Amino acid sequence: MNNDELEQHTPEKAHSSRLSVMDAIKKGTVTMRPRWHFILLSTLAAVGAFIVLLALVYIASLLVFFMHDSGAWFVPSFGGRGWFSFLRSIPWLLIFLIGIFALILEVLVRRYAFVYRKPLLLSAIGIVAFILLGGFLIAATPFHRQMKFYADHHQLPPPLSFIYGAPFRASPPPDVYHGVILAMTADGFIIVDQNGAGTTTVKVNDQTRLPEGVDFSVGTEVVVVGDRLGSSTVQAFGVREADE
Amino acid sequence: MVTEVPETDEHIALCVQRGDAEAFGELIGRYQPKLFRYARKFLLDPDDAADIVQDIFIKSYQNIQSFDTTRRFSPWIYRIAHNEFVNALKKRASRHTIFTIDFDTLFPHLTAPDTSDSAALERDTQAMLDQYLDKVSPKYREPLVLYYLEGMDYKEIAEILQIPVSTVGVRLARGRTALTKIAGSLPRYE
Repeated sequence: MNNDELEQHTPEKAHSSRLSVMDAIKKGTVTMRPRWHFILLSTLAAVGAFIVLLALVYIASLLVFFMHDSGAWFVPSFGGRGWFSFLRSIPWLLIFLIGIFALILEVLVRRYAFVYRKPLLLSAIGIVAFILLGGFLIAATPFHRQMKFYADHHQLPPPLSFIYGAPFRASPPPDVYHGVILAMTADGFIIVDQNGAGTTTVKVNDQTRLPEGVDFSVGTEVVVVGDRLGSSTVQAFGVREADE
Repeated sequence: MVTEVPETDEHIALCVQRGDAEAFGELIGRYQPKLFRYARKFLLDPDDAADIVQDIFIKSYQNIQSFDTTRRFSPWIYRIAHNEFVNALKKRASRHTIFTIDFDTLFPHLTAPDTSDSAALERDTQAMLDQYLDKVSPKYREPLVLYYLEGMDYKEIAEILQIPVSTVGVRLARGRTALTKIAGSLPRYE
């Protein structure tokens, strides 16, 4: 310590400060928190982080499912027009929820050495990768399709009926049609939508973008991007199979 | 002749955890001068330092059951000190700039390994620290204090500040650059 410091922190002052802390401990004014208190806090934080992580994976899978369901997931393969339709149909509410939950998760896990030792960007990439992987895996199961079916038939209790309801769903782009081929026609085909509620006649011409080596037939699930000609007729700009 | 081996901080902390409150006095004795120096150099306000250091010991005693005795005691108590100092700086935010979003911890950095500075560089830095440390922002002042005045290595500082080791290197380099800029006439090095 230099002279200036010694002036501020004499041995007498240090001794007096030490005595006052020890005195408070002896008198019981300052008490030690029990070990279980810290174990409980750590457990709650760990459980909280795990629940938030599960919620994130669930929301991500819901996002993937809704994008698949609306057909928007497949349209970027049609180029600029496809990307435009894709961006227009993203369920931003779910993206917003993912952002909020990811922030909460980052705060909850930031206390762990294996997280704060790494740059924030790397831990964020790790979290996003985990969420996407989990999200795709769940979206590949029939779980969401069944839940949506029950929601559409008013068989789901709240809050599930709300989660699978309109506010969270990807709004289908107005120029994207997703359905199963019901019948072939001379210049295209007729599709029935996913819910079986309505049909659309799709016209195909020389300008229509079609995948090479694919023969569309009755029963094929397709995604069509095109311009509406009438109430139920569409001139196809592009057609592709909806991959599972 | 039997030489008495001093007990480690961790062993004393274990005794405190087991109910030997008197042993805590030994920890106070060992850390009081260090924490007071850390407080004075980081907070730049000697009026607050004594009270805050006292609060650090009270918090340490209250939370000592959360200390893992298989790990080192020093980073644990310095972490409590860091939190107390940051809170103190926040309280007087009108007089000091407080860091909020920390972009240094966002991206990975490539930094030079933690090696001892050359004697000349060390001497120059020490001279600048004595004169200009109070003009460096708290964000860079703290790692400078811990590294040059408390003699800690990058890993220990990273544990205390809970930031990546590479970020410690970045902050130290920026702190030294800031010192050099403030000193003006002295040569620049990074």
